[in-house]
Amino acid sequence: MGSIPTRFDVIVVGAGPAGAAAAYHAAKRGFKVLLVERGRGAGSKELYGGRIYVGPLRDVWPGIEKEAPIHRWVVEERLSIIGDGEVATLSYRYSNPVSFTAYLPDLTRWMVSKAEEEGVVFVDEVRVDSLVRDGEGRVIGIRSGPDVAYASVVVDAEGANRLLLERAGIVDALDAKRAPIALGVKEVLKLPKGAIEDRLGLSDGEGLSWLIAGTVTKGIPGGGFIYTFKDTIAVGVVVHLGHSVNAVEAGVLKESVKDLVESIRLHPYFKRLWRDSDIVEYGAHLTVECGLDYMPPHLAYDGLVIVGDAAGLLLNLGYTVRGVDLASYSGMLAAEAIAKAHDLGGMNAENLRVYENMVKESFIYKELVRHRGICWLTKERRFFTSYANILLGILSNLYVQEFKHPTVFEAVKASIRSGGEALLPLIGRILKVVREL
Amino acid sequence: MSISDKSERALSIDELLQRNVYDVDDEPHIIVDTEKCLKCRVKPCTLLCPAGCYTLSPDGEILFSYEGCVECGTCRSICPMDAITWNYPRSGRGIYYRFT
Repeated sequence: MGSIPTRFDVIVVGAGPAGAAAAYHAAKRGFKVLLVERGRGAGSKELYGGRIYVGPLRDVWPGIEKEAPIHRWVVEERLSIIGDGEVATLSYRYSNPVSFTAYLPDLTRWMVSKAEEEGVVFVDEVRVDSLVRDGEGRVIGIRSGPDVAYASVVVDAEGANRLLLERAGIVDALDAKRAPIALGVKEVLKLPKGAIEDRLGLSDGEGLSWLIAGTVTKGIPGGGFIYTFKDTIAVGVVVHLGHSVNAVEAGVLKESVKDLVESIRLHPYFKRLWRDSDIVEYGAHLTVECGLDYMPPHLAYDGLVIVGDAAGLLLNLGYTVRGVDLASYSGMLAAEAIAKAHDLGGMNAENLRVYENMVKESFIYKELVRHRGICWLTKERRFFTSYANILLGILSNLYVQEFKHPTVFEAVKASIRSGGEALLPLIGRILKVVREL
Repeated sequence: MSISDKSERALSIDELLQRNVYDVDDEPHIIVDTEKCLKCRVKPCTLLCPAGCYTLSPDGEILFSYEGCVECGTCRSICPMDAITWNYPRSGRGIYYRFT
Protein backbone atom coordinates (compact mmCIF):
# COMPACT_ATOMS: atom_id res chain seq x y z
CA MET A 1 0.00 0.00 0.00
CA GLY A 2 3.13 2.18 0.10
CA SER A 3 2.33 4.24 -3.00
CA ILE A 4 -1.25 5.27 -2.16
CA PRO A 5 -2.47 7.99 0.19
CA THR A 6 -2.92 6.58 3.66
CA ARG A 7 -5.90 8.61 4.83
CA PHE A 8 -9.45 7.96 3.60
CA ASP A 9 -12.98 8.66 4.75
CA VAL A 10 -13.94 4.99 4.39
CA ILE A 11 -11.82 1.85 4.09
CA VAL A 12 -13.62 -1.32 2.99
CA VAL A 13 -11.92 -4.65 3.69
CA GLY A 14 -12.87 -7.32 1.16
CA ALA A 15 -14.02 -6.75 -2.43
CA GLY A 16 -16.92 -9.20 -2.45
CA PRO A 17 -20.58 -8.41 -3.13
CA ALA A 18 -20.92 -6.70 0.28
CA GLY A 19 -17.68 -4.74 0.21
CA ALA A 20 -18.05 -3.63 -3.39
CA ALA A 21 -21.58 -2.34 -2.66
CA ALA A 22 -20.46 -0.46 0.46
CA ALA A 23 -17.58 1.13 -1.47
CA TYR A 24 -19.73 2.02 -4.49
CA HIS A 25 -22.50 3.66 -2.45
CA ALA A 26 -20.11 5.45 -0.10
CA ALA A 27 -18.23 6.92 -3.08
CA LYS A 28 -21.54 7.89 -4.70
CA ARG A 29 -22.27 9.91 -1.56
CA GLY A 30 -19.02 11.79 -1.93
CA PHE A 31 -16.78 9.93 0.48
CA LYS A 32 -13.15 9.16 -0.33
CA VAL A 33 -13.07 5.35 -0.33
CA LEU A 34 -10.33 2.72 -0.32
CA LEU A 35 -11.39 -0.85 -1.17
CA VAL A 36 -8.77 -3.48 -0.33
CA GLU A 37 -8.77 -7.11 -1.43
CA ARG A 38 -6.35 -9.91 -0.57
CA GLY A 39 -6.79 -11.73 -3.89
CA ARG A 40 -5.27 -10.98 -7.26
CA GLY A 41 -7.99 -8.86 -8.80
CA ALA A 42 -11.48 -8.79 -7.36
CA GLY A 43 -13.37 -12.05 -6.95
CA SER A 44 -10.46 -14.47 -7.23
CA LYS A 45 -11.02 -15.88 -3.72
CA GLU A 46 -14.79 -16.22 -3.98
CA LEU A 47 -16.86 -19.36 -4.22
CA TYR A 48 -20.60 -19.85 -3.84
CA GLY A 49 -23.24 -22.29 -5.06
CA GLY A 50 -24.30 -20.49 -8.14
CA ARG A 51 -27.62 -18.63 -7.97
CA ILE A 52 -28.34 -14.98 -7.19
CA TYR A 53 -31.70 -13.32 -6.51
CA VAL A 54 -32.01 -10.12 -8.48
CA GLY A 55 -34.74 -8.22 -6.57
CA PRO A 56 -32.63 -6.53 -3.88
CA LEU A 57 -29.72 -6.13 -6.31
CA ARG A 58 -31.78 -3.84 -8.58
CA ASP A 59 -31.71 -1.26 -5.76
CA VAL A 60 -28.00 -1.76 -5.11
CA TRP A 61 -26.68 -2.00 -8.67
CA PRO A 62 -28.71 -0.02 -11.21
CA GLY A 63 -28.45 -1.62 -14.62
CA ILE A 64 -27.37 -5.02 -13.30
CA GLU A 65 -29.74 -6.97 -15.55
CA LYS A 66 -28.40 -5.33 -18.69
CA GLU A 67 -24.72 -4.96 -17.86
CA ALA A 68 -23.66 -7.72 -15.47
CA PRO A 69 -22.10 -10.99 -16.75
CA ILE A 70 -25.25 -13.06 -16.21
CA HIS A 71 -25.21 -16.64 -17.54
CA ARG A 72 -28.73 -18.01 -17.19
CA TRP A 73 -32.06 -17.02 -15.61
CA VAL A 74 -33.38 -19.81 -13.40
CA VAL A 75 -36.75 -21.04 -14.70
CA GLU A 76 -36.77 -24.47 -13.14
CA GLU A 77 -36.32 -25.64 -9.55
CA ARG A 78 -35.68 -29.27 -8.77
CA LEU A 79 -35.49 -30.99 -5.43
CA SER A 80 -34.39 -34.61 -5.23
CA ILE A 81 -34.22 -37.09 -2.41
CA ILE A 82 -31.68 -39.81 -3.03
CA GLY A 83 -31.78 -43.24 -1.43
CA ASP A 84 -29.99 -46.48 -2.15
CA GLY A 85 -30.93 -46.95 -5.79
CA GLU A 86 -34.00 -44.72 -5.58
CA VAL A 87 -34.55 -41.08 -6.48
CA ALA A 88 -37.62 -38.93 -5.83
CA THR A 89 -37.62 -35.61 -7.68
CA LEU A 90 -39.94 -32.64 -7.45
CA SER A 91 -39.67 -30.30 -10.40
CA TYR A 92 -41.22 -26.85 -10.73
CA ARG A 93 -41.03 -24.74 -13.87
CA TYR A 94 -42.10 -21.12 -14.14
CA SER A 95 -41.93 -18.27 -16.63
CA ASN A 96 -41.13 -15.25 -14.48
CA PRO A 97 -37.55 -15.80 -13.27
CA VAL A 98 -36.31 -13.93 -10.17
CA SER A 99 -32.77 -15.28 -9.97
CA PHE A 100 -29.81 -15.85 -12.27
CA THR A 101 -26.54 -17.74 -12.37
CA ALA A 102 -23.17 -16.07 -12.85
CA TYR A 103 -19.55 -16.77 -12.01
CA LEU A 104 -19.13 -14.82 -8.78
CA PRO A 105 -15.56 -13.71 -9.65
CA ASP A 106 -16.86 -12.16 -12.90
CA LEU A 107 -19.87 -10.56 -11.25
CA THR A 108 -17.70 -9.13 -8.48
CA ARG A 109 -15.25 -7.68 -11.00
CA TRP A 110 -18.21 -5.95 -12.65
CA MET A 111 -19.33 -4.56 -9.26
CA VAL A 112 -15.83 -3.31 -8.47
CA SER A 113 -15.56 -1.67 -11.89
CA LYS A 114 -18.78 0.23 -11.05
CA ALA A 115 -17.23 1.29 -7.74
CA GLU A 116 -14.08 2.46 -9.50
CA GLU A 117 -16.20 4.53 -11.89
CA GLU A 118 -17.51 6.35 -8.80
CA GLY A 119 -13.96 7.12 -7.70
CA VAL A 120 -13.26 4.24 -5.31
CA VAL A 121 -9.55 3.46 -5.00
CA PHE A 122 -9.32 -0.32 -5.43
CA VAL A 123 -6.14 -2.06 -4.31
CA ASP A 124 -5.75 -5.83 -4.65
CA GLU A 125 -3.11 -8.22 -3.29
CA VAL A 126 -3.37 -6.62 0.13
CA ARG A 127 -3.93 -9.01 3.00
CA VAL A 128 -5.23 -7.00 5.93
CA ASP A 129 -3.69 -8.39 9.13
CA SER A 130 -5.59 -6.38 11.71
CA LEU A 131 -7.84 -3.46 12.45
CA VAL A 132 -5.95 -0.53 13.95
CA ARG A 133 -7.46 0.91 17.14
CA ASP A 134 -6.65 3.99 19.16
CA GLY A 135 -6.16 4.20 22.92
CA GLU A 136 -9.90 4.20 23.51
CA GLY A 137 -10.48 1.13 21.34
CA ARG A 138 -11.95 3.01 18.41
CA VAL A 139 -11.15 1.52 15.01
CA ILE A 140 -9.09 4.07 13.10
CA GLY A 141 -7.66 2.06 10.21
CA ILE A 142 -6.15 -1.18 8.94
CA ARG A 143 -2.72 -2.76 9.06
CA SER A 144 -1.16 -4.92 6.36
CA GLY A 145 2.36 -6.02 7.25
CA PRO A 146 4.28 -2.80 7.95
CA ASP A 147 1.72 -0.60 6.16
CA VAL A 148 -1.08 1.26 7.88
CA ALA A 149 -3.97 3.16 6.28
CA TYR A 150 -6.32 5.37 8.26
CA ALA A 151 -10.00 6.16 7.83
CA SER A 152 -12.90 7.68 9.75
CA VAL A 153 -14.69 4.35 9.42
CA VAL A 154 -13.74 0.81 8.38
CA VAL A 155 -16.28 -1.48 6.72
CA ASP A 156 -15.54 -5.13 7.53
CA ALA A 157 -16.60 -7.23 4.52
CA GLU A 158 -14.13 -10.06 5.13
CA GLY A 159 -16.65 -12.88 4.65
CA ALA A 160 -17.65 -15.86 6.77
CA ASN A 161 -14.10 -16.67 7.88
CA ARG A 162 -13.75 -13.69 10.23
CA LEU A 163 -10.07 -13.47 11.11
CA LEU A 164 -10.16 -9.69 11.63
CA LEU A 165 -13.19 -9.70 13.92
CA GLU A 166 -11.67 -12.55 15.92
CA ARG A 167 -8.36 -10.74 16.29
CA ALA A 168 -10.23 -7.61 17.37
CA GLY A 169 -12.02 -9.65 20.05
CA ILE A 170 -15.45 -8.88 18.61
CA VAL A 171 -16.39 -12.50 17.84
CA ASP A 172 -15.19 -15.82 19.32
CA ALA A 173 -12.56 -17.94 17.58
CA LEU A 174 -14.29 -20.04 14.94
CA ASP A 175 -15.32 -23.38 16.43
CA ALA A 176 -17.34 -25.75 14.24
CA LYS A 177 -18.87 -27.39 17.31
CA ARG A 178 -20.46 -24.13 18.40
CA ALA A 179 -20.78 -21.89 15.34
CA PRO A 180 -23.54 -22.48 12.77
CA ILE A 181 -21.18 -22.93 9.85
CA ALA A 182 -21.08 -25.34 6.94
CA LEU A 183 -18.54 -26.31 4.33
CA GLY A 184 -19.42 -26.05 0.65
CA VAL A 185 -17.35 -28.11 -1.79
CA LYS A 186 -17.87 -27.72 -5.51
CA GLU A 187 -16.70 -28.99 -8.89
CA VAL A 188 -17.22 -27.07 -12.12
CA LEU A 189 -17.78 -29.26 -15.18
CA LYS A 190 -17.42 -27.99 -18.75
CA LEU A 191 -19.90 -29.55 -21.18
CA PRO A 192 -19.99 -29.85 -24.95
CA LYS A 193 -21.86 -27.01 -26.65
CA GLY A 194 -25.63 -27.40 -26.52
CA ALA A 195 -25.45 -30.29 -24.05
CA ILE A 196 -26.94 -28.36 -21.11
CA GLU A 197 -29.95 -27.33 -23.21
CA ASP A 198 -30.51 -30.79 -24.69
CA ARG A 199 -30.03 -32.83 -21.54
CA LEU A 200 -31.92 -30.59 -19.11
CA GLY A 201 -34.64 -29.37 -21.45
CA LEU A 202 -33.61 -25.73 -21.27
CA SER A 203 -33.67 -23.05 -23.91
CA ASP A 204 -30.84 -20.63 -24.55
CA GLY A 205 -30.33 -18.47 -21.46
CA GLU A 206 -32.61 -20.57 -19.26
CA GLY A 207 -31.17 -22.06 -16.11
CA LEU A 208 -31.94 -24.69 -13.54
CA SER A 209 -31.33 -24.96 -9.80
CA TRP A 210 -31.31 -28.41 -8.24
CA LEU A 211 -30.97 -29.26 -4.57
CA ILE A 212 -30.36 -32.82 -3.41
CA ALA A 213 -31.10 -34.36 -0.03
CA GLY A 214 -30.71 -37.86 1.33
CA THR A 215 -27.78 -40.26 1.34
CA VAL A 216 -25.47 -37.84 -0.49
CA THR A 217 -24.26 -36.37 2.81
CA LYS A 218 -24.10 -39.69 4.73
CA GLY A 219 -26.67 -38.44 7.20
CA ILE A 220 -24.82 -35.22 7.96
CA PRO A 221 -27.18 -32.22 7.85
CA GLY A 222 -26.68 -30.58 4.49
CA GLY A 223 -27.24 -31.50 0.88
CA GLY A 224 -26.07 -31.47 -2.67
CA PHE A 225 -26.57 -28.84 -5.35
CA ILE A 226 -26.45 -28.48 -9.11
CA TYR A 227 -26.50 -25.12 -10.94
CA THR A 228 -26.29 -24.44 -14.65
CA PHE A 229 -24.02 -21.82 -16.19
CA LYS A 230 -23.42 -20.86 -19.83
CA ASP A 231 -21.45 -23.95 -20.79
CA THR A 232 -20.64 -25.38 -17.36
CA ILE A 233 -22.48 -27.07 -14.52
CA ALA A 234 -21.55 -26.68 -10.87
CA VAL A 235 -21.96 -29.80 -8.72
CA GLY A 236 -21.37 -29.70 -5.01
CA VAL A 237 -22.29 -30.49 -1.45
CA VAL A 238 -22.77 -28.42 1.67
CA VAL A 239 -22.24 -30.14 5.04
CA HIS A 240 -22.80 -28.74 8.51
CA LEU A 241 -19.29 -28.74 9.98
CA GLY A 242 -20.10 -29.49 13.61
CA HIS A 243 -22.12 -32.53 12.58
CA SER A 244 -19.35 -33.53 10.17
CA VAL A 245 -16.88 -33.68 13.06
CA ASN A 246 -19.42 -35.72 15.05
CA ALA A 247 -19.76 -38.08 12.08
CA VAL A 248 -15.99 -38.55 11.90
CA GLU A 249 -15.84 -39.16 15.65
CA ALA A 250 -18.66 -41.71 15.44
CA GLY A 251 -17.04 -43.47 12.49
CA VAL A 252 -20.10 -42.71 10.32
CA LEU A 253 -18.08 -40.63 7.87
CA LYS A 254 -15.17 -42.68 6.61
CA GLU A 255 -14.47 -40.89 3.35
CA SER A 256 -13.23 -37.43 2.47
CA VAL A 257 -15.69 -34.60 1.80
CA LYS A 258 -14.40 -34.50 -1.78
CA ASP A 259 -15.71 -38.07 -2.15
CA LEU A 260 -19.20 -36.81 -1.29
CA VAL A 261 -19.05 -34.49 -4.31
CA GLU A 262 -17.53 -37.20 -6.46
CA SER A 263 -20.36 -39.56 -5.51
CA ILE A 264 -22.90 -37.06 -6.88
CA ARG A 265 -20.86 -36.52 -10.05
CA LEU A 266 -20.68 -40.29 -10.56
CA HIS A 267 -24.23 -41.09 -9.38
CA PRO A 268 -26.00 -43.15 -12.08
CA TYR A 269 -29.00 -40.79 -12.02
CA PHE A 270 -26.92 -37.64 -12.53
CA LYS A 271 -23.78 -38.64 -14.41
CA ARG A 272 -25.56 -38.88 -17.78
CA LEU A 273 -26.30 -35.15 -17.51
CA TRP A 274 -22.60 -34.27 -17.78
CA ARG A 275 -21.39 -37.10 -20.00
CA ASP A 276 -18.22 -36.08 -21.91
CA SER A 277 -17.50 -33.20 -19.56
CA ASP A 278 -14.20 -31.96 -18.17
CA ILE A 279 -13.70 -30.82 -14.60
CA VAL A 280 -12.28 -27.32 -14.93
CA GLU A 281 -12.21 -26.23 -11.30
CA TYR A 282 -12.50 -27.63 -7.78
CA GLY A 283 -12.91 -25.53 -4.68
CA ALA A 284 -14.46 -25.02 -1.26
CA HIS A 285 -15.66 -22.24 0.99
CA LEU A 286 -17.23 -21.82 4.40
CA THR A 287 -20.83 -20.69 4.52
CA VAL A 288 -23.18 -19.51 7.24
CA GLU A 289 -25.83 -22.05 8.19
CA CYS A 290 -27.98 -19.92 10.44
CA GLY A 291 -27.47 -16.20 10.09
CA LEU A 292 -28.93 -14.96 13.38
CA ASP A 293 -26.69 -17.25 15.41
CA TYR A 294 -23.62 -16.09 13.51
CA MET A 295 -24.28 -12.39 13.94
CA PRO A 296 -21.69 -10.47 15.99
CA PRO A 297 -23.02 -8.86 19.22
CA HIS A 298 -23.35 -5.61 17.27
CA LEU A 299 -23.12 -4.69 13.59
CA ALA A 300 -21.48 -1.34 14.37
CA TYR A 301 -18.78 -0.20 16.78
CA ASP A 302 -16.70 2.96 17.13
CA GLY A 303 -15.26 3.43 13.65
CA LEU A 304 -16.43 0.02 12.38
CA VAL A 305 -19.42 -1.47 10.57
CA ILE A 306 -19.80 -5.15 9.63
CA VAL A 307 -21.53 -6.29 6.41
CA GLY A 308 -22.32 -9.44 4.42
CA ASP A 309 -21.36 -12.94 5.55
CA ALA A 310 -19.14 -11.50 8.31
CA ALA A 311 -22.34 -10.05 9.80
CA GLY A 312 -24.17 -13.40 9.42
CA LEU A 313 -26.45 -11.94 6.76
CA LEU A 314 -27.12 -15.11 4.80
CA LEU A 315 -30.48 -16.80 4.53
CA ASN A 316 -30.48 -20.58 4.18
CA LEU A 317 -34.04 -21.81 3.72
CA GLY A 318 -33.23 -25.41 2.96
CA TYR A 319 -34.93 -25.28 -0.44
CA THR A 320 -32.97 -22.20 -1.49
CA VAL A 321 -30.10 -20.03 -0.26
CA ARG A 322 -29.68 -16.27 -0.45
CA GLY A 323 -26.29 -14.75 0.25
CA VAL A 324 -25.00 -12.51 -2.53
CA ASP A 325 -28.08 -10.27 -2.68
CA LEU A 326 -28.29 -9.89 1.10
CA ALA A 327 -24.56 -9.13 1.28
CA SER A 328 -24.74 -6.43 -1.37
CA TYR A 329 -27.86 -4.93 0.17
CA SER A 330 -26.21 -4.73 3.60
CA GLY A 331 -23.21 -2.98 1.98
CA MET A 332 -25.56 -0.37 0.54
CA LEU A 333 -27.23 0.12 3.94
CA ALA A 334 -23.81 0.54 5.56
CA ALA A 335 -22.95 3.34 3.11
CA GLU A 336 -26.28 5.06 3.83
CA ALA A 337 -25.65 4.74 7.56
CA ILE A 338 -22.14 6.16 7.20
CA ALA A 339 -23.63 9.21 5.46
CA LYS A 340 -26.17 9.58 8.28
CA ALA A 341 -23.49 9.19 10.96
CA HIS A 342 -21.43 11.83 9.15
CA ASP A 343 -24.41 14.22 9.33
CA LEU A 344 -24.91 13.37 13.00
CA GLY A 345 -21.35 14.44 13.72
CA GLY A 346 -19.04 11.46 13.41
CA MET A 347 -18.35 7.73 13.18
CA ASN A 348 -18.83 6.76 16.80
CA ALA A 349 -20.73 3.62 17.73
CA GLU A 350 -23.82 5.54 18.74
CA ASN A 351 -24.15 7.23 15.35
CA LEU A 352 -23.15 4.16 13.35
CA ARG A 353 -25.75 2.00 15.09
CA VAL A 354 -28.10 3.65 12.63
CA TYR A 355 -26.80 0.86 10.38
CA GLU A 356 -27.82 -1.83 12.85
CA ASN A 357 -31.31 -0.35 13.02
CA MET A 358 -31.51 -0.12 9.23
CA VAL A 359 -30.59 -3.80 8.89
CA LYS A 360 -33.16 -4.73 11.55
CA GLU A 361 -35.87 -2.80 9.75
CA SER A 362 -34.91 -4.17 6.33
CA PHE A 363 -36.27 -7.32 4.67
CA ILE A 364 -32.94 -9.04 5.45
CA TYR A 365 -33.35 -9.19 9.20
CA LYS A 366 -37.09 -9.74 9.06
CA GLU A 367 -36.54 -12.73 6.78
CA LEU A 368 -33.80 -14.11 9.03
CA VAL A 369 -36.13 -13.86 12.05
CA ARG A 370 -39.16 -15.22 10.20
CA HIS A 371 -37.22 -18.28 9.03
CA ARG A 372 -35.37 -18.82 12.27
CA GLY A 373 -36.93 -22.29 12.54
CA ILE A 374 -34.59 -23.52 9.84
CA CYS A 375 -31.82 -23.36 12.45
CA TRP A 376 -33.58 -26.06 14.42
CA LEU A 377 -33.99 -28.10 11.28
CA THR A 378 -30.28 -28.02 10.48
CA LYS A 379 -29.69 -29.74 13.81
CA GLU A 380 -32.37 -32.40 13.28
CA ARG A 381 -30.29 -35.27 11.90
CA ARG A 382 -33.32 -37.52 11.44
CA PHE A 383 -34.65 -35.18 8.81
CA PHE A 384 -31.63 -36.04 6.67
CA THR A 385 -31.62 -39.78 7.30
CA SER A 386 -34.71 -41.73 8.31
CA TYR A 387 -37.25 -39.18 7.05
CA ALA A 388 -35.77 -39.26 3.56
CA ASN A 389 -35.93 -43.07 3.62
CA ILE A 390 -39.51 -43.05 4.87
CA LEU A 391 -40.58 -40.84 1.96
CA LEU A 392 -38.80 -43.06 -0.55
CA GLY A 393 -40.39 -46.09 1.14
CA ILE A 394 -43.87 -44.63 0.74
CA LEU A 395 -43.26 -44.08 -2.97
CA SER A 396 -41.84 -47.59 -3.31
CA ASN A 397 -44.88 -49.09 -1.58
CA LEU A 398 -47.21 -47.13 -3.86
CA TYR A 399 -45.54 -47.68 -7.21
CA VAL A 400 -43.37 -50.80 -7.07
CA GLN A 401 -46.16 -53.39 -7.01
CA GLU A 402 -46.88 -56.14 -9.50
CA PHE A 403 -50.53 -56.97 -8.69
CA LYS A 404 -51.88 -55.30 -5.60
CA HIS A 405 -51.38 -51.65 -4.60
CA PRO A 406 -51.78 -50.58 -0.99
CA THR A 407 -53.96 -47.62 -0.10
CA VAL A 408 -51.99 -44.43 0.46
CA PHE A 409 -52.58 -44.73 4.20
CA GLU A 410 -51.30 -48.32 4.24
CA ALA A 411 -48.24 -47.32 2.24
CA VAL A 412 -47.44 -44.50 4.65
CA LYS A 413 -47.97 -46.64 7.74
CA ALA A 414 -45.82 -49.50 6.46
CA SER A 415 -42.95 -47.23 5.48
CA ILE A 416 -42.95 -45.45 8.84
CA ARG A 417 -42.93 -48.81 10.65
CA SER A 418 -40.04 -50.19 8.61
CA GLY A 419 -38.18 -46.92 9.21
CA GLY A 420 -38.34 -47.66 12.94
CA GLU A 421 -40.46 -44.61 13.70
CA ALA A 422 -43.81 -44.38 15.46
CA LEU A 423 -46.65 -42.75 13.57
CA LEU A 424 -47.87 -40.11 16.03
CA PRO A 425 -44.52 -38.65 17.16
CA LEU A 426 -43.45 -38.58 13.52
CA ILE A 427 -46.56 -36.66 12.49
CA GLY A 428 -45.84 -34.24 15.33
CA ARG A 429 -42.30 -33.66 14.11
CA ILE A 430 -43.37 -33.34 10.48
CA LEU A 431 -45.94 -30.73 11.52
CA LYS A 432 -43.14 -28.91 13.34
CA VAL A 433 -40.97 -29.02 10.21
CA VAL A 434 -43.83 -27.67 8.10
CA ARG A 435 -44.51 -24.95 10.66
CA GLU A 436 -40.84 -23.94 10.90
CA LEU A 437 -40.43 -23.84 7.14
CA MET B 1 -5.76 -25.80 -16.74
CA SER B 2 -8.28 -28.30 -18.03
CA ILE B 3 -7.22 -31.89 -18.29
CA SER B 4 -9.38 -34.01 -20.50
CA ASP B 5 -10.71 -36.74 -18.27
CA LYS B 6 -13.98 -38.20 -19.39
CA SER B 7 -13.64 -41.39 -17.38
CA GLU B 8 -16.27 -42.41 -14.90
CA ARG B 9 -13.95 -43.11 -12.01
CA ALA B 10 -13.63 -41.05 -8.87
CA LEU B 11 -10.65 -38.72 -9.11
CA SER B 12 -8.01 -38.37 -6.43
CA ILE B 13 -7.71 -35.06 -4.65
CA ASP B 14 -4.48 -34.35 -6.52
CA GLU B 15 -6.21 -34.92 -9.85
CA LEU B 16 -8.96 -32.49 -8.81
CA LEU B 17 -6.57 -29.82 -7.53
CA GLN B 18 -4.62 -29.99 -10.81
CA ARG B 19 -7.61 -28.25 -12.41
CA ASN B 20 -7.04 -25.16 -10.29
CA VAL B 21 -4.83 -22.14 -10.80
CA TYR B 22 -2.51 -21.32 -7.91
CA ASP B 23 0.33 -18.95 -7.25
CA VAL B 24 1.84 -20.90 -4.38
CA ASP B 25 3.59 -18.82 -1.76
CA ASP B 26 7.20 -19.66 -0.90
CA GLU B 27 6.32 -20.06 2.74
CA PRO B 28 3.30 -21.79 4.28
CA HIS B 29 0.39 -19.60 5.41
CA ILE B 30 -0.77 -22.26 7.86
CA ILE B 31 1.43 -23.68 10.59
CA VAL B 32 0.52 -27.03 12.16
CA ASP B 33 2.01 -28.10 15.47
CA THR B 34 2.12 -31.80 14.55
CA GLU B 35 3.36 -32.67 18.03
CA LYS B 36 -0.16 -31.89 19.24
CA CYS B 37 -1.60 -34.12 16.49
CA LEU B 38 0.12 -37.15 18.05
CA LYS B 39 -2.34 -36.92 20.94
CA CYS B 40 -5.36 -36.39 18.66
CA ARG B 41 -7.61 -39.44 18.51
CA VAL B 42 -10.09 -38.34 15.83
CA LYS B 43 -7.98 -36.33 13.36
CA PRO B 44 -11.05 -34.89 11.58
CA CYS B 45 -8.78 -32.79 9.33
CA THR B 46 -7.78 -35.90 7.37
CA LEU B 47 -11.35 -36.29 6.10
CA LEU B 48 -12.82 -32.80 6.28
CA CYS B 49 -10.11 -30.67 4.66
CA PRO B 50 -11.58 -30.44 1.14
CA ALA B 51 -8.12 -30.06 -0.39
CA GLY B 52 -6.65 -33.10 1.35
CA CYS B 53 -3.86 -31.05 2.91
CA TYR B 54 -3.75 -33.29 5.97
CA THR B 55 -2.67 -36.89 5.41
CA LEU B 56 -1.54 -39.69 7.67
CA SER B 57 1.97 -41.10 7.44
CA PRO B 58 2.40 -44.88 7.74
CA ASP B 59 3.33 -44.23 11.40
CA GLY B 60 0.04 -42.45 11.99
CA GLU B 61 1.56 -38.97 12.10
CA ILE B 62 -0.11 -35.98 10.45
CA LEU B 63 1.64 -34.74 7.33
CA PHE B 64 0.60 -31.24 6.31
CA SER B 65 1.13 -29.61 2.92
CA TYR B 66 -0.18 -26.12 2.20
CA GLU B 67 0.30 -26.02 -1.58
CA GLY B 68 -3.19 -27.25 -2.56
CA CYS B 69 -5.02 -25.30 0.17
CA VAL B 70 -8.19 -23.57 -1.05
CA GLU B 71 -8.18 -21.18 1.95
CA CYS B 72 -11.60 -22.17 3.29
CA GLY B 73 -10.77 -22.19 7.02
CA THR B 74 -12.34 -25.58 7.77
CA CYS B 75 -9.24 -27.00 9.50
CA ARG B 76 -8.96 -24.16 11.98
CA SER B 77 -12.63 -24.52 12.94
CA ILE B 78 -12.55 -28.31 13.50
CA CYS B 79 -9.13 -28.96 15.05
CA PRO B 80 -9.77 -30.52 18.49
CA MET B 81 -6.16 -29.90 19.61
CA ASP B 82 -5.88 -26.21 18.75
CA ALA B 83 -2.80 -27.20 16.75
CA ILE B 84 -3.31 -24.86 13.79
CA THR B 85 -2.07 -21.31 13.36
CA TRP B 86 -4.10 -20.13 10.41
CA ASN B 87 -3.72 -17.21 8.07
CA TYR B 88 -4.50 -16.35 4.48
CA PRO B 89 -1.58 -16.50 2.04
CA ARG B 90 0.37 -13.30 1.65
CA SER B 91 -0.83 -10.69 -0.77
CA GLY B 92 -2.28 -12.17 -3.94
CA ARG B 93 -0.82 -15.65 -3.46
CA GLY B 94 -2.69 -18.95 -3.21
CA ILE B 95 -5.82 -20.12 -5.05
CA TYR B 96 -7.12 -18.13 -8.03
CA TYR B 97 -10.75 -19.04 -8.74
CA ARG B 98 -12.17 -18.42 -12.22
CA PHE B 99 -15.51 -20.28 -12.56
CA THR B 100 -16.89 -20.28 -9.03
